[in-house]
Amino acid sequence: MKLNQGGHQRSRAILGPVAAVCALALLAGCGSGTPTASVSSSATATVNFWGWVPGLESLVANYNALHTGTTVVFHRMTGDDGTKVKAAVDAGAGPDVVQLSTHDLPDYVIAGRVVDISKYVGDQAAQYTASSWASVSFNKKVYGIPNGIGPGGLMYRTDILSKYGIAVPTTWDQYLTAARKLHAANPKVYIANMSPSEFGQWSQEIQQAGSSWYGISGNSWTVGINDAGSKLVAKRWQTLLDEKLVTTDTMWTPEYWADVNSGKIATISYAVWFPPLLESNGKATSGKWHVAALPVNAGSTNSGDSGGAADVVLKGAKNPGAAAKFISWLNGSVAAQKTMITTGGIFPSSKNGLASPALLAPVSFFNGQVINTVFKQSAANTPSTWVDGPNFGTAQSAITDQFAKVINGQETFLQALDNAQAITVKNLKARGLSVKG
Amino acid sequence: MSSSSSSTRSLRRFTGAGAWWAPYAFTLPFVALFLVFLVTPILVAVRSSVYSVQSSGLGFGAASAAVFVGFANYTRALGDPDFLASFGRVMLFGVVQVPVMMVLAVGLALLFDSPLVKAKRFFQLVVFLPYAVPGVIAALLWGFLYQPNVSPLIQFLASIGIDANLLAPGTVLWSIANISIWSYTGINMIILFAALQSVPREMFEAARLDGAGEVRIAFSIKLPMIWPAFLLTTLSSIIGTLQLFNEPSVLKTITPNISSSYTPNMAIFSAATLGNNANLSSAMAVILGIATLIVSLTIMRLTTRRNGVTHVTK
Repeated sequence: MKLNQGGHQRSRAILGPVAAVCALALLAGCGSGTPTASVSSSATATVNFWGWVPGLESLVANYNALHTGTTVVFHRMTGDDGTKVKAAVDAGAGPDVVQLSTHDLPDYVIAGRVVDISKYVGDQAAQYTASSWASVSFNKKVYGIPNGIGPGGLMYRTDILSKYGIAVPTTWDQYLTAARKLHAANPKVYIANMSPSEFGQWSQEIQQAGSSWYGISGNSWTVGINDAGSKLVAKRWQTLLDEKLVTTDTMWTPEYWADVNSGKIATISYAVWFPPLLESNGKATSGKWHVAALPVNAGSTNSGDSGGAADVVLKGAKNPGAAAKFISWLNGSVAAQKTMITTGGIFPSSKNGLASPALLAPVSFFNGQVINTVFKQSAANTPSTWVDGPNFGTAQSAITDQFAKVINGQETFLQALDNAQAITVKNLKARGLSVKG
Repeated sequence: MSSSSSSTRSLRRFTGAGAWWAPYAFTLPFVALFLVFLVTPILVAVRSSVYSVQSSGLGFGAASAAVFVGFANYTRALGDPDFLASFGRVMLFGVVQVPVMMVLAVGLALLFDSPLVKAKRFFQLVVFLPYAVPGVIAALLWGFLYQPNVSPLIQFLASIGIDANLLAPGTVLWSIANISIWSYTGINMIILFAALQSVPREMFEAARLDGAGEVRIAFSIKLPMIWPAFLLTTLSSIIGTLQLFNEPSVLKTITPNISSSYTPNMAIFSAATLGNNANLSSAMAVILGIATLIVSLTIMRLTTRRNGVTHVTK
């Protein structure tokens, strides 16, 4: 009896800790259970793809049906998936292809997180707009396929402008005159909202002025956050702010949309992807909006763009060739571009997409206007001066943090630009990068 | 037969419990998870904090390499006026928010423990309920109440002639404090109330016989008896203050007056995500950890000395 019991005890003595370790192994197993494409070596190539454009599911299904050699597995990006990508790639657990903002691409290139796909797609430059192709090319190598762009336009309230007898401004000088006239006629109405947190509205006018936050000079980066073009834009908005001709709501807040819906804001200058958001958040104003070209600077016909997206092949991709082939089809082929425009709501950067009749559909929210005619012209008038550079996130948060101080009257836009410039340059130098000027 | 088997079972249980490995086996799951998810990340962060990824030229071509830089990341973090200002900000926050919240929590706990309050369970639930609302949701809810166009609160204040801007540079910190107080008074009240419940009732009887009123009992008996619980809740509130992140991060989306480095944790998060610098943010995180440790130890030391208690560890 006693002996038997002892034996039982011993077996438990071993089993106890073992069970605990097994439980831990299970826990750890949960983390490393990412499916990999190791099966695919010879027969079919598997491409894991993360993206966010609506309708990608059906496009991926089409591709898989058409191309027997490749199986694309799609994962829809939500929440903070974009932030996770870098860590996933570094850990060797990233997808093969990801969609990202072209503003973030230089850091991916520098960190070696994206694959040079020049040898697969290098000959396709002519199929895309020059500026969008430039946004995926660094150091004479191609790191992705442009996925869409964001040309700017001026959305305006037809009812408000006509009520106060104001013509649609075509230059920024007219815009200022209109702002004064409008606010004088009705002190409760403002020409625009200046959101300190929305750097895209700022950067599209920087590009319009022929400037760029970053540039490359020889083997060094240049930073132009406070360059001549930026100062031109700064003076414009300083005047509008000083004369209290604009509201200063933070964009996307209920507060902002309340002001849009109540007719407090007469114009919004922003990118081609803004109208659908205006439609879903500003239902009360349906049929009252129109889109015109972005007002221009004196002596120029330039328009601006606030940035686009690209599909890139990530480090560790098992079949970079198959991945590159898939993203060229997705962003370049006639069939895929049609779905990307109609279901995805993107504004194409490919020549096939720009030629697609799907682009020129009338929009009922804008009283039946074919708004993309305006954005298409805007894209054609946008200079390809903008260069994205490393630490874009730092530059962006420096700008928005500084602009908050401007809105509170603690400093001017010109001072804010100088401060943001200094912060960005300091950060680049701390990374060992060469910065000129 | 049946009696013998039952005695065997109890004997087995007894001897099993005496085995040398038993305590280790029982603590193993905790220790293993503690090592994997707390100690290892701390060690990794400390290691990461003394390296820096350096590129050259444009950064293209030659691969960037992590080089050992000693305390360079620490000097950079400590030389960053925004990061230092974030510490000042949460300290100011803590000096006001923690006392206000603790006074409220103690007051409510004493009220619920006294015979004065009717419908105790209902009111306890009401006070505790905000704690059950996740911090991010609470901040979103309050965010609506802070925006003039959509807030009935501000519209009411405006109707009686008070022009309130709860998201201005000078007021937004206290708007955050308000959310924290709303969220965490309940849990602190419950902990203090539970401590009060464990105070032997005979002591109150004795005090009453000696002629003490309810107020006197509260201050002379109840409060000293729940001192360890009070210290625990205060300390965790102070640590929570230093770790402030959720509420300001959510409010940041509705007001520009919360910068990307408003609190130490937000600055760390920005350095890692926006600034792309995991090494710098590791150094900042280590600094915050050490600062929290120092503040906690200092407060423990001060309070135990003043109270003459030497072993307040629980």
